[in-house]
Amino acid sequence: MTAMICPECGIEMNHHAEKLVYPSGPHEASSVDPVLGGMIEELHTCPGCGSGASRRAEPTRGG
Amino acid sequence: MTEPGRALFVPVLLGTVRQGRMSLPVARLVVSELSRRPGIETELIDLARIPLPIDDAGQAIKDPTFSSQMSRADALVVVSPEYNHGYSGLLKHALDSCLEEYIHKAVGVVGVSAGPYGGTRGIQDLLPVLRELGLVAIFWDVNFSAVQSVFDEAGALRDRAYLPRIDKFLKELVWMARTLRHGRESIALE
Repeated sequence: MTAMICPECGIEMNHHAEKLVYPSGPHEASSVDPVLGGMIEELHTCPGCGSGASRRAEPTRGG
Repeated sequence: MTEPGRALFVPVLLGTVRQGRMSLPVARLVVSELSRRPGIETELIDLARIPLPIDDAGQAIKDPTFSSQMSRADALVVVSPEYNHGYSGLLKHALDSCLEEYIHKAVGVVGVSAGPYGGTRGIQDLLPVLRELGLVAIFWDVNFSAVQSVFDEAGALRDRAYLPRIDKFLKELVWMARTLRHGRESIALE
């Protein structure tokens, strides 16, 4: 996936974590990664201002 | 040692809404001790002031102010009284309202009890919850036992032995907060 850019500083944020989260209801069932059993939330932090951002990762392939 | 650049933000979450709560002077004391440290900004977050509904739960009820405070935080102190051998239900309710805000940030717990165990049973129950939220727990706790005798009626500390204990706790918390900030901002996941 492409790098996240800090909306405040305009610089590339550091991708430092991936958290497994689970669907909150049937509407998210199709987003579950079949390999990992949940969905991956990526966490990014700006080295300039320290602000954080997250986004949902694409499901893994294979398994 | 003062770190150049942005101050660390280390709020103190008062984890009870009970009337007459004796955890309030504890939380105020921790805020005061944090405020003395260079390069640290802090504030008291009172669980009773977070407007969370109780007809839903989790991130669906995220409060924008609390979320913003947790996003800005580099570390968190949770002041957690022990009620019936556990932590308060509303503390869990509030903590569960955020997730991404906590990840790779330091947390330390201050236990409070009227009895002799200083909130240790509540702390032990709280630690796996904090871990699942993505927080990184330090190995120092502060335990206020028989809290009703630790402060006077005006809320002033009677037992000065708590100050060096809080100092050790905060030194570890600040070290962890600095280390994790460096990691969040500079060390990429492989």
